[in-house]
Amino acid sequence: MSGGATAAQVESPVLELDGVGKRFGDHTVLDDVSLTVQRGEFVALLGPSGAGKTTLIRCMTGMLKPDAGHIRVCGVDMANLHGRERRRVAVVFQQFNLVRRLSALDNVLAGRLGYVAPWRGWVRQFDRADRLLALECLDRVGLLRHAAQRADTLSGGQQQRVALARALAQRAEVIVADEPVASLDPAISAGILDLLRGICEEDGVTVVCSLHQLHLAQSYARRLIGLADGRVQFDCRAEDVNESATRTLYQRNPQAA
Amino acid sequence: MSSAEDRDDGSSRRALAALEAARPVWTGRHWAIGIALLVFYAVCWQLANVDLAKLATGLPKLGYWIASAWPPALAEMPIFLHRTAETIAMAALGTTGAVVLALPMAVLAARNITPWPRLVGPVRVVLNALRGIDSFVFALLFVAAVGLGPFAGVLGIMLHTWGSAAKNFADHIENINLEPYEAVRSTGAGRFSAIAYAVLPDVLPVTLSMALFWWEFNVRASTVLGVVGAGGIGQELKASMDLLDFPRLFTIIALIVVVVTLIDKFSGWLRRRLI
Repeated sequence: MSGGATAAQVESPVLELDGVGKRFGDHTVLDDVSLTVQRGEFVALLGPSGAGKTTLIRCMTGMLKPDAGHIRVCGVDMANLHGRERRRVAVVFQQFNLVRRLSALDNVLAGRLGYVAPWRGWVRQFDRADRLLALECLDRVGLLRHAAQRADTLSGGQQQRVALARALAQRAEVIVADEPVASLDPAISAGILDLLRGICEEDGVTVVCSLHQLHLAQSYARRLIGLADGRVQFDCRAEDVNESATRTLYQRNPQAA
Repeated sequence: MSSAEDRDDGSSRRALAALEAARPVWTGRHWAIGIALLVFYAVCWQLANVDLAKLATGLPKLGYWIASAWPPALAEMPIFLHRTAETIAMAALGTTGAVVLALPMAVLAARNITPWPRLVGPVRVVLNALRGIDSFVFALLFVAAVGLGPFAGVLGIMLHTWGSAAKNFADHIENINLEPYEAVRSTGAGRFSAIAYAVLPDVLPVTLSMALFWWEFNVRASTVLGVVGAGGIGQELKASMDLLDFPRLFTIIALIVVVVTLIDKFSGWLRRRLI
């Protein structure tokens, strides 16, 4: 353990947010958010609707530029993380966002587009090693049988598994998941979060995941970050979150801001 | 039912009576609109030189022509079929060329995925210009430039359809769900890879269906291209009219109707299978 601790001290954190702020018009959505996520952590982001979770997640994925502060991925400023470098951050969406008319396998292969020559993306042709990797990723999420099936014929839970396989194939440093189970029923949600935790623990991939159910966050994440009115309200180990902290988190009125 | 009757204390009846009482009355504005429309049509009538007396004397002439069209000129059928095939080929080549040119233009003209947003306006202006000029007019120009024959027709069809199809495709792209595209972009894919990967699979079936529609439309439109010397069955049609050879003329018209109907049916069947 001590060896791991020194290694973590030497390398830069996987994700580093420093005074991040974002405004939409007059409305301040994120206000001075600072946090650091180390390699291999599973962090859950909690907060009521309108707290700024989705905005924060979109900033972490590089889809949105913060107005203030810096975001660094493995020491590299997000502002310099263009094009292929974006592959370091894999994104999992609430609505899965698969290409509906492509097969599960083709959707997973999209995760390799940050590595291969551009023409391979244009004609959707990948070499043997990439196809094998994609199939292994599908196997990992239990969908090898459905590799050739069109994405829009899969159930919601299966589609989210394909999205996880796409993130796996991307060989990212961090998976950022925006409410990955909000559109799924409880049993299927547990399956998806089990997979995410497995990827985190076995592959050492860092996971940042926004959730709106406290009990799910507590049972899967080792660290919880509470967000309300665009500010970090608490940031602690999962077992240290007390009831009063979460109550104040959800009793705030998002309209008041 | 019974509960509804129980609740009926006449309020629905009163509401209906109120609606009936509120029938529109003719206000000054209605009168103004009515008069403006009357003036508009009166001017149109004048400009179009509508002359019902001429129609009355002309109709019997038409009837006589139709009567003298029997028996049809079947002896020349091989030539007619060859010319019809020419028309279909012109439409097919022109439409295919137009669709191939239209796809990249549509990406440039779609505000949501264009790589160069500043170019959207100019590209749309060019597309509107192409669309605004009929293939007949383009064919006229190309007959002068590349000489008589179906090739001028192909070029004419291609330019006009290019503008129309690209605008169609661009409007369709602007309405698609861009979330899969964003997801693919987030894997580190380049813009064009992501468009090919996440946008094309959604757009392609509709594109093919629209291409078939344009082909079908162009077969119909290009029957007249022969009139300006741009090849196809229209050329024979014009020659027959000039010679007042009515059996030939009506045989050609009948052939056009049959071929166009068959192509409409075929293309409609194919389009239903695509979507």
